Amino acid sequence: MEANIKWLDDPETFRVNQLPAHSDHHFYRDYAEWQKHKSSFEQSLDGQWQFKFASTPQERIKDFYQVDFDASGFDQIEVPSEIELSDYAQNNYINTLIPWEGKIYRRPAYALSQDDPEEGSFSEGEDNTVGLYLKHFDLNDELRGKQIRVRFEGVERAMYLWLNGHFIGYAEDSFTPSEFDLTPYIQDEDNVIAVEVFKHSTASWIEDQDMFRFSGIFRSVELLAQPVTHLEDFTLKPRVADNYRDGELSMDLNLVGEHAGNVHVLVKNHAGSTLLDETKPIDSNVTIAPHEFKDVHLWDNHDPYLYQLLIEIHDEDGNLIELVPYQFGFRRIEISKDHVVLLNGKRLIINGVNRHEWDDHRGRSVTMPDMLSDIHTFKENNINAVRTCHYPDQIPWYYLCDQNGIYMMAENNLESHATWQKMGAIEPSDNVPGSVPQWKEVVVDRARSNYEFFKNHTAILFWSLGNESFAGDNLVAMQQFYKEHDDSRLVHYEGVCHTHDYSDQIPSMDPDNYLPKGGTKDYRDQISDVESWMYLPPKQVEEYLKNNPDKPFMECEYMHDMGNSAGGMGSYIKLLDKYPQYFGGFIWDFIDQAIQVKDPISGQMVMRYGGDFDDRHSDYEFSGDGLMFADRTPKPAMQEVRYYYGLHK
Amino acid sequence: MAYTNKLHVIYGDGTLGIGGDGFHYIFSYEKGGLESLKLNGKEWLYRVPTPTFWRATTDNDRGSGFNIKSAQWLAADTFTKCLNDQTDLTVDDHHFEKLPIAPETNQFSNHETADNVKIRFTYETLTVPATKVTVTYLVSANGQIKLTAHYFGHPDLPELPVFGLRFIMPTTATSFDYEGLSGETYPDRMAGAQPGKYHVDGLPVAKYLVPQENGMHMKTKQLKITREITENNADHSTAPFSLKVGQVDKPFNFSCLPYTAEELESATHIEELPLARRTVLVIAGAVRGVGGIDSWGADVEKQYHIPADQDIEFSVMLNEK
Repeated sequence: MEANIKWLDDPETFRVNQLPAHSDHHFYRDYAEWQKHKSSFEQSLDGQWQFKFASTPQERIKDFYQVDFDASGFDQIEVPSEIELSDYAQNNYINTLIPWEGKIYRRPAYALSQDDPEEGSFSEGEDNTVGLYLKHFDLNDELRGKQIRVRFEGVERAMYLWLNGHFIGYAEDSFTPSEFDLTPYIQDEDNVIAVEVFKHSTASWIEDQDMFRFSGIFRSVELLAQPVTHLEDFTLKPRVADNYRDGELSMDLNLVGEHAGNVHVLVKNHAGSTLLDETKPIDSNVTIAPHEFKDVHLWDNHDPYLYQLLIEIHDEDGNLIELVPYQFGFRRIEISKDHVVLLNGKRLIINGVNRHEWDDHRGRSVTMPDMLSDIHTFKENNINAVRTCHYPDQIPWYYLCDQNGIYMMAENNLESHATWQKMGAIEPSDNVPGSVPQWKEVVVDRARSNYEFFKNHTAILFWSLGNESFAGDNLVAMQQFYKEHDDSRLVHYEGVCHTHDYSDQIPSMDPDNYLPKGGTKDYRDQISDVESWMYLPPKQVEEYLKNNPDKPFMECEYMHDMGNSAGGMGSYIKLLDKYPQYFGGFIWDFIDQAIQVKDPISGQMVMRYGGDFDDRHSDYEFSGDGLMFADRTPKPAMQEVRYYYGLHK
Repeated sequence: MAYTNKLHVIYGDGTLGIGGDGFHYIFSYEKGGLESLKLNGKEWLYRVPTPTFWRATTDNDRGSGFNIKSAQWLAADTFTKCLNDQTDLTVDDHHFEKLPIAPETNQFSNHETADNVKIRFTYETLTVPATKVTVTYLVSANGQIKLTAHYFGHPDLPELPVFGLRFIMPTTATSFDYEGLSGETYPDRMAGAQPGKYHVDGLPVAKYLVPQENGMHMKTKQLKITREITENNADHSTAPFSLKVGQVDKPFNFSCLPYTAEELESATHIEELPLARRTVLVIAGAVRGVGGIDSWGADVEKQYHIPADQDIEFSVMLNEK
């Protein structure tokens, strides 16, 4: 197969030759490797890559992936990093409008008509900058002779991949790992991997998040070798019994490679006692039947107790060939018949924040110290929950939330704001994904990837379909995906509120302010287990709660912390005491998006926000809505959050 | 000649001087206020204190259009119109029907004394319609100044961003200490603040991306501002010296920054602010909340507004003993 640039224009082509998404577990050769957190099956490709930038697809060098290509004219770039922050392309911050607003006229393919494929929209886009990446590498000794895949943890926004001159595959979905099998073309030495990264594709319509618009390989890249038998995927099903005291664990394992030897599954508690110990012959699918855990130690924010799972793969001779350690907890989330959200049988209150991944020097290419600092800030300020706005985060963040008892709303990479809201008005005439058939699979795939990678993380209490994308049959399909695969979590989506007439539930609100003119199909019964709004004032929140709240209520965004703000928080918090159906919300948002640069006038290091890079159209200082300044120092309002979030810990 | 128990009153022809042990004050009839507040030889005023009505627009103010609705208070804050003919002086029990200027002052000597002096300045706001503000200084024999500001409500004016008095000091403070609430507080954002005594080094400006109102401290009982240098060329000392402000009947609100609201308003980034060289103390009798529901239209909750149609009065003690 050859790469085709027209894929950029086609919403139905979003992954080519990508391996299926699977559990995000690490795997090691043996216990010693696990202790050192260094797997010999893994080889990082992070570091300096050769790089060439092109302003448009037409100006790019097309044969750069050939093995005999002379790359002496290439620069160097750090992987991971944002192309814009290396000053190849202009920084641009824009909120709801699309980044080419006022520059290029586009409509999403098939949105206005089934006969409108919008050919050339991105493959010939004058704004579609391109990064060409090359990396030469030899395989580490431990990887040689094995099946080899490459994992790109995050690439904005569309990437084509070649190895040693051969086309390997294509991926979109910028914030989800993309894996490709390299085995057919890998050599022990002198490999050259080539990646062509486009800033825009049809994915741009559904990645219209309120953020600086970057591109590039902004998360880590690694090679993964698999032992002769490998645990490709597994699904843990820890259940809490109706007495909220006992537990039960079952699991499904998916193994690839040779079917010889045994898989040995162990579960240990903190004291080191073995609570489950089963050995099964290796097969493609191995099931561990429900195993009872008496007096289980429940997981929650105050006591994030995790059990240690160990999955050992042994060959026929009993030798350990792969070790998969994973930690999980027992917890149960449900909605009571009174429409109250319960965690482990007790009312759940979300004292949450929305968190964009942000580093004032590195953009969304955040580091482990950034993540550790954020967790520390959460703990210090009674923040017990995070919404991964509006895309899946780096993998370690999910482990940190498990370990620290941070409740997660794991959101898909989806926002199509520009296609349904114009200057504040609800105007979905060109909305995608909506109910446009060609946009269904791409969004269901995003739901699937989010589920498959992160399904074993205890911290995730909610799947979120996405942010501000209106509603339609394709959102229903996403909801159905989760319902078919996961009965241990709730599904959240806010945008469906723009399809329902709330005249009875929130009488003081004028339906013209939240419904499209001329009406729309009501999806409220088909999308979202919870009633979610953003920035609904306390008065209207109370109206909803007084008028037969048939879904529990939350604010997925509230307390807009732009500049000197966060006043009046008490009016929301006191509703928690009056209405059990109110289960809190996520403050918008955790950290200012600003970029630290050296000011040429004063010589000082200063913060730059939207519009500061001559970027137009921009939403300027609206990029800075955090409880934290962009340098990760707290804003003065933090003491107020710590107080109010401390009232319902 | 020592006036240890009495104020020494100097009847000038453009000013009224008041001296005592360790303090000397000059009220300017022309400038419309307290022109000099000298403690132990150190000057504390750069210009006469003025009523203040504006706060640098916050992001929420901008989003809700509050700055536009209340824009005329910016003019009233920037330019001060003192109705000099209404300046009112009482020395002990004697109320002057008109200000004592030559030839009336010819009757006085350099040995005039008093137990207390009260002088009231009246300002007309540069709003349409205009209203009035009075600022009354009551100086006691020990040098304490009880300062009372009164805003006369007017139903046809927009809501106020703030009402207070602004003191600009010649040099930057090196620190300030206060007894009140921790951190930056506003009427709708002070539940999480801890009461206590706090020391703040320098004059920190909260580094909001766009400079805006910041640094308010609600419910303060006492404030002590410390500086080390003056603009007096003959003053070679760098020893710290302080001014105390205390509550009179109830706690007061203040911010202590190196910038006026107008300076903050003019900058779109922190680094555009001028070099810090003064201390700007705002003693606020009424502070508007900051809001937080959203930044594109939601108003601050009603109970945290400053309605323009009601009178506002507050007092503090300057040079509190």
